[in-house]
Amino acid sequence: MLSTLTRKKHRRPFSPGNSIFTLFLWFYGFVSLYPLIWMLFYSFKNNDEIFVSNPFGFPTVLRIENYIKAWSQYNVPQYFLNSMIVAVGTVAITIVFALMFAYATSRMRWKGKGFARTFIALGMFIPVQAVLIPVARVVQDLGLMGTHWALILPYAAFNLAFSSMVFYGFFLGIPVELEEAACIDGANIFQAFYHIIVPTVKPAIATLIIFTFLNSWNEFILANVLVIDQNLKTLPLGILFFQGQFTTDWGAMGATMVIASLPTILVYTLFSNQVEKAMTIGGAVKG
Amino acid sequence: MKKFFGNKWAIAVFTFPALLLFIVLVFYPIVQVFFRSFFDWNGLSTGTFIGFDNYARLFTDKTFWISNKNGLIFATVITVFQMTMATVLALAVSNSKLFGRNFFRVVYFIPVVLSVTVVSQLWLSIYNADTGLLNKFFEAIGSDFSQNWLTDRNKAIYAIAFVNAWQWMGYQFALILAGVKSIPTSYYEAAKIDGANAIQAHTKVTLPLLAETYKFCLVISVTGGIKAFTEMFIMTGGGPGNSTYTLTYMMYSAAFRGGEFGYGLTAAAVLVLECLVAILVINRIFKTENAAEEA
Repeated sequence: MLSTLTRKKHRRPFSPGNSIFTLFLWFYGFVSLYPLIWMLFYSFKNNDEIFVSNPFGFPTVLRIENYIKAWSQYNVPQYFLNSMIVAVGTVAITIVFALMFAYATSRMRWKGKGFARTFIALGMFIPVQAVLIPVARVVQDLGLMGTHWALILPYAAFNLAFSSMVFYGFFLGIPVELEEAACIDGANIFQAFYHIIVPTVKPAIATLIIFTFLNSWNEFILANVLVIDQNLKTLPLGILFFQGQFTTDWGAMGATMVIASLPTILVYTLFSNQVEKAMTIGGAVKG
Repeated sequence: MKKFFGNKWAIAVFTFPALLLFIVLVFYPIVQVFFRSFFDWNGLSTGTFIGFDNYARLFTDKTFWISNKNGLIFATVITVFQMTMATVLALAVSNSKLFGRNFFRVVYFIPVVLSVTVVSQLWLSIYNADTGLLNKFFEAIGSDFSQNWLTDRNKAIYAIAFVNAWQWMGYQFALILAGVKSIPTSYYEAAKIDGANAIQAHTKVTLPLLAETYKFCLVISVTGGIKAFTEMFIMTGGGPGNSTYTLTYMMYSAAFRGGEFGYGLTAAAVLVLECLVAILVINRIFKTENAAEEA
């Protein structure tokens, strides 16, 4: 009885009895997934197999050497490390700054907090591509070119608006008694913030860490302008490096693309619900 | 408690880092975009103030109109494709009786987590006229539909727009799916009692209740079209000729290739304004629709 009840609760009135419709679902699944599988396949093939003998199917021999080559000859470990440093730095700064800012604008009492909040929220309506030129100027004037900060600080600045808005929403929902109790126990506001308030929004923090990580890992437009130094390139830039220069070596390019995609795909398969929540939370904030 | 929450020192410590970072790297740059768009500026010197000359030049620049046309095509293709597919697929996957629904959920979403560069590079090889997967596929099935996807002046923009539509469909799919899940099942039961079939239940219950979600989807698709850049940068380099230019591409090539930073910023300023207008118009449309429904 209980099981039928719970089943009924989740039921939606759409009958997939229509077999053409089911076929369509599988067809789009194929369209969505096959390019990725194809990429995985060709990362194990040589040029002959990719272009002539076996363009569609499973590789006849698993050519691991493509991966070894990508890793040892094409600077991929350096790109990978750079992407990791930039992503971790961006996540840390974004989350810490946004938590503090959202706390001050949601729970503390001061004149101008509404203005400060709206001011930062404006960031959500400013397209990164539009400010590319001045941002590059600022980064250069601050002497950040040639360091990882050239990416970390702009990434954090652009992620700030969104994260602050999400934390703001969460902080509003916390009862004021939490701080009152902390205050009576003799804690100052910094202790209350760190020991009491931050732990209550842990789920939101986890979601935003994933969101910011994915954003930073995949970012291209800013990186394309802000990184000139070969040794500071992130993976999205590294992939472009193959264009022209190494078009003869498709297998290794495929391997690099797979390596670049693995972390985000791994994050997604491990935390698929979290990731979807992280992406869709934007609908609630921006809408 | 008043003292506790009004601690000035704490307020300063909490807000200063975020405000500083935001002002230096977002606010100051956006002000610069508009300010410098009135200058003839090569990026190095202080430049000369030339009033609206850049704007006058922009509006008579053929590339500007091509860019806008492409933005419009791009926005239309991704909006239509993503919103239709996302709606149909999300409604299907929301049905708990669907066989393999978790598989579908993951598969439809997965392109979203990839880097745009990986996706563009991947489709570059798929579209390749001689060696690409797509033409090989048409050959294999004996069709003569094979063509130069990215080197045809008229078709390239559609081919590129499809790549973006393909990658980000999953995002709107997830948004709509989350929206559908938030609708109480009792609504559907009521609809069923009233004799509605599945499709009627969705058009009368689901879609109106998801107005906010659709508004957001529309905003990201339309502004996404106006802002399009990376796909053309990697796949066609704006070509053939300037047939796949967009406003961002125009800005990029004016500044970083032509050294005309002032002119590039004029394109950027127009880009920001177009995005704002799009957001305002979409909000207005949804507002009047809500009002009409309530009346």
